[in-house]
Parts: sequence; C-alpha cells; structure tokens
Amino acid sequence: MSAVTIRDLALEFDGSPPVRALDGVDLEIAEGSSLALVGESGSGKSTVASVLGRLQPRSARILRGSVEVAGTDVLALDTPALRRFRRDELAFVAQDPIASLDPTMRIGRQLQLVLQSTGRDASPARRVEMLEAMRIADPERVIPLFPHQVSGGMAQRIAIALALCRRPRLLVADEPTAALDSQVREEVVRLMFDQARALGTTILWLSHDLPAVARWCDDVAVMYAGRVVERGRAADVLGAPVHPYSRALAATDPSRIGEGERLVSIPGAPPVLHGEATGCAFEPRCPLRTDACAHTRPHPVAPRATLCIRTDELRRRVRESEVSA
Amino acid sequence: MTITPTTTQRLVTARDRTFGAWRRVDGLARLATIVLGALVLLTVVAVLTGVFGSTSATIGGRFAPPSPLAPLGTDNLGRSFLPRLFEGIATTLVVSIVAVLCSAAISTLIGMIAGYYGGAVSELVMRIVDVLYAFPALVLAILVSALLGPGRPAAIVSIVAITIPLMTRVVRVATRTVAERDFVVSARISGVRTPVIFARRLLPNIAGTVVVQASYALSVAILVEGGLSFLGFGVQVPEASLGLLIQQGMLAMTFAPHLLIVPGAVLVVAILCINLIGDSLRDRLEPRETRSLT
Repeated sequence: MSAVTIRDLALEFDGSPPVRALDGVDLEIAEGSSLALVGESGSGKSTVASVLGRLQPRSARILRGSVEVAGTDVLALDTPALRRFRRDELAFVAQDPIASLDPTMRIGRQLQLVLQSTGRDASPARRVEMLEAMRIADPERVIPLFPHQVSGGMAQRIAIALALCRRPRLLVADEPTAALDSQVREEVVRLMFDQARALGTTILWLSHDLPAVARWCDDVAVMYAGRVVERGRAADVLGAPVHPYSRALAATDPSRIGEGERLVSIPGAPPVLHGEATGCAFEPRCPLRTDACAHTRPHPVAPRATLCIRTDELRRRVRESEVSA
Repeated sequence: MTITPTTTQRLVTARDRTFGAWRRVDGLARLATIVLGALVLLTVVAVLTGVFGSTSATIGGRFAPPSPLAPLGTDNLGRSFLPRLFEGIATTLVVSIVAVLCSAAISTLIGMIAGYYGGAVSELVMRIVDVLYAFPALVLAILVSALLGPGRPAAIVSIVAITIPLMTRVVRVATRTVAERDFVVSARISGVRTPVIFARRLLPNIAGTVVVQASYALSVAILVEGGLSFLGFGVQVPEASLGLLIQQGMLAMTFAPHLLIVPGAVLVVAILCINLIGDSLRDRLEPRETRSLT
C-alpha cells in the first residue's frame, strides 16, 4: 500500500496572469519508505508538500487531480475530518527551526501540549525521555528554556521530536537542515531518519542536498516546472540519470567532480508557467532538444516515469556509458 | 575545583529576577512611572479617605486664593479645589481605563480574526473599522453623546469607538505575521482547534503589541474625555473630571488662573507619563527581530 498517491495534480496561483505551480504531478510513496523531492527553487516542491496537508495558500486553486494520503482523499475532507486527518496522519518539519517553536512558551510546555493533544503520557519524565531520544544532552537543563535560548541544531531536534511524538503516518520535511551547519546537519538527518524508521513513518524530504539524498533516501523524484520528470531508486536516478534535467542536476553536485574539473551549472532559469505547458518545459535549456520537444507534451515513460520523448534513446546511451565506464 | 553557588550568588540572582527588568528601563521612563504611580496613589488615597477635605462642602468665599484650609484655593461655589481635583483625576482615569480595556478586548478579538482568516473576513472587518476611522474623533464623540445623552457612558463609548480602529489595525498586522510562522502552521497540522490556536499561540505572541497599543490608547482616551467634558458632552456637574475642571477653570481664567492651570498641568503630565511608559514598553515588548541562526 502506498502512503501517498498523487495523480495528475495541477494547481495555479491566482494573479494576472495566473501562475501554474503544478502542471500534472504524479507521485507515489510506498508506506514506510523515504522519498526525496529534488529540483531547483520554484519547481513546485514546497507546493506539493503543502497540498498533502491541504495547507496551500488561499490564492492557490487546484485545477484537477487527486491527492491521497494513507488512503484518505485529502481534497475531499470537510473541516472536522481535515483536522482529524492532520492530527493523526501528518507532521511537518520546517526549514527554520527557531520559527517552528513558539517564542513565548518554554520548551517543556510545548512538548507537554503536543503530547497532551494526542492523549499521550505528558509527564515530565516522558518529556525528558523525548529529548533524550533526540540525543539532547542534559534535557533537564533544556526543558525550562525558551526557544531563543537554544542553538539552531538543538531547536531543530526539538522540532523533530515534537513532530514525531504524535507517531504520524507521514513526515514532510521541507529542507530541515538548510539552516544548519554541516556538522550538525548530518546528525540531525540521521536522528530524523532513525526515529522515523523506528516508528514506520513515511518520509517526504524536500532537499537541495543531493549527496545526502543519495545516502539517506530510498527513492528520489526530480521535479521541474511543476512536473515530476523522473523518479526511481535514489541510487539509480542520481547515479545514472536518464532525463536531461536529472542529468544536468546530478552534474551540478560538487561531490561528483574530481579535482581540477569544472563544476557545471544549468544555463538559463526555470520557466514561470502561466498555463499548461504545451511541450517539454525543459526544452529551452535542454542540450539534447529536438524540434519535436517544443510542441509535444511528454508522457511518463516506464520504468522511471521519465518525462522525455527521447527516453528510450537516452536510456540506451546511459547504459552504453555505464558499460564503457 | 568545582564552584558551588554561595549564598551571595543566590541572593544576586533573586535580586536580578526582581529588579532586572526595572534596571533595564531608561531613566525617563522610570521617572514617568514614578510620577504616574504617585499621582494614581495620591488619587486613590484622596478619594478613599477624603483626607484632603470634602468635595462638596463650602468652606470659604468664591475663587479664594490658596490658603492652609484650601491648599489650591476655592472654586466658583467656594468649595476647596484640591479634593475636587482628585475627584476629577479619579473620574478621568476610571473612564479612560474602562474604555481602553473594552476597546482592547474588542479590537484584539476582531483584529485576530481578521488577521488569522485574512481574505474576505479581513476585508469586511477592516472596511467597517475604516468607516469608523474616517470620522473625526470629536465629531464621532459628539454623535455618540447625542445618541446616548451626555455622561460617563457616552464618554466611554466614544473612547471605545475612537480607539478601536487604531488598535484593530495594529493587532491584525501583528496577527498576520504570527499566523504565518511555522509554529502556528504546525499547531494547525497537529489538529489543534482554532480557538485554542487563538488563545495559546496567537494571543501570547501579540500580547506585547496589544499592551503597547493600549498604553497609547490610554493617552488618547484621556484627551478625548477631556475634550468631551470640556465641550459639555462628557461628565456632568456636580461630578468632576479633568476636562470639566478645565472648562470651569477657563471661565475664571482672568482672576483665578490656578483653577485652569492646575488641572491642565495634571492632564499634560499624565499623558506625557503614559506616552513615555508606552515608548519604553514598546522597546521591551514588541516582537524581536527574528533571531538569525548564524
């Protein structure tokens, strides 16, 4: 059974002209697995994440498609059911750890409120346990502190503890480590994945950090201009990308470049769509484009749901280069 | 070597907790707090004990200059002016404080609703508030007292009507910025009911703003009460309020100027003190700059 099933989701932000943020997203996440959503800023990652909890801004209009989380049709829920669904199934970890904690409330009190809201044991001992599980040294000292008195790494660990103590079915982490330094980053990600796997929680991780994605996630979905252009096992998609955009993105990863080699960047900028893309949205930037690309809307090609009309040809090429290498 | 806390150290921390906040207040605000505190204390003592004399007994000739029996002289009916002054301060303060509390409660509620829901709800609330704001303060006050009849209730309702637009706007903006922050979103995700989000997440985070705005509203309230009573639409004789005393003092301005100057000076000092305290509160309570992680 899949934890998340998104089918042909299209979403526009009102405005003149309206901005098409999602242009037919298909995405599936298996129960208990972890999927990383990667792509440039503006590709629609955060919008996908917000729709999962129906937290998209008021200016967003869903044009078509369906969103199912743990078998629940999210878009069809009425208010009380939506509230129950969010409480029982979902948890978010935000980018800015300090902002995800209430500045007027001591940390212990915030832990207590979240535990109480789900009818769990909220005793002081349990709160200490929660912080210990997140490897916070000296929890008794941390509990009476206000969020501005702790470090960013600690605040993010507390935020993850707050998110996971409700035992959510799905954890959405929107670049939870972007604001942390690299030493703390590694540890926070490990804690998040260890805890979530222990609870059987499915993880959707939005990230720009490709090496970390390759290390931690089971699957990767690459987004471009509001569509998932390629998805599959993390090692496959990042190690042997087929779609020209995935290839370009993987090539920007500094850790793959040998000493003295030039780090390539993708020329141009992602497009801002104002309606359904008629062709391939990556066409203007694509080094492998053909004349057909501009006016043939690509459809997913198995096995990686690659959105490119030259998929078969490119796959052969990738295989050849692997053989030669 | 381990350092164990000594008795002195513990004393110091206890003292810091009590006086730390006071020590961080700047000198001007400290002076203002002391002056206003003294004024309120004196007024409470005077009204409760009548230690400065009766407010209604005639004790000498009309418009008599200051004397040991009547430290601020006598008024147009030969009553000692000092107890009348304290009665006036008490009325003005009570009317203003009650009005500002009402106004703060109403504008916090509607400002939070407008800020949290945004969109059409916000438009509706803010346009109604704008209509209220479009009326000149005194015209609005005169309209209210024409509807309700002059007196304390009219003064209170007028002050509420005048201060609501000011506070609602600020509360709405403060709520909007708080409502967008991640901890409110995560409260929503964890299925917390909206009233609970309002009371537990939004209110503590905008409380500082409300308190600061209320302090400014209080000085506006005192001015409005003074203006209304001065024009005869507010508190009526035989009661006293600062505005009423100023109005009566004006009639005797040429031969007993202290009857005008003293209540006028009290009004100015009270408003000045409240504004200084308000500024100091704003420096301490307004939401901090978002703390950066680096």
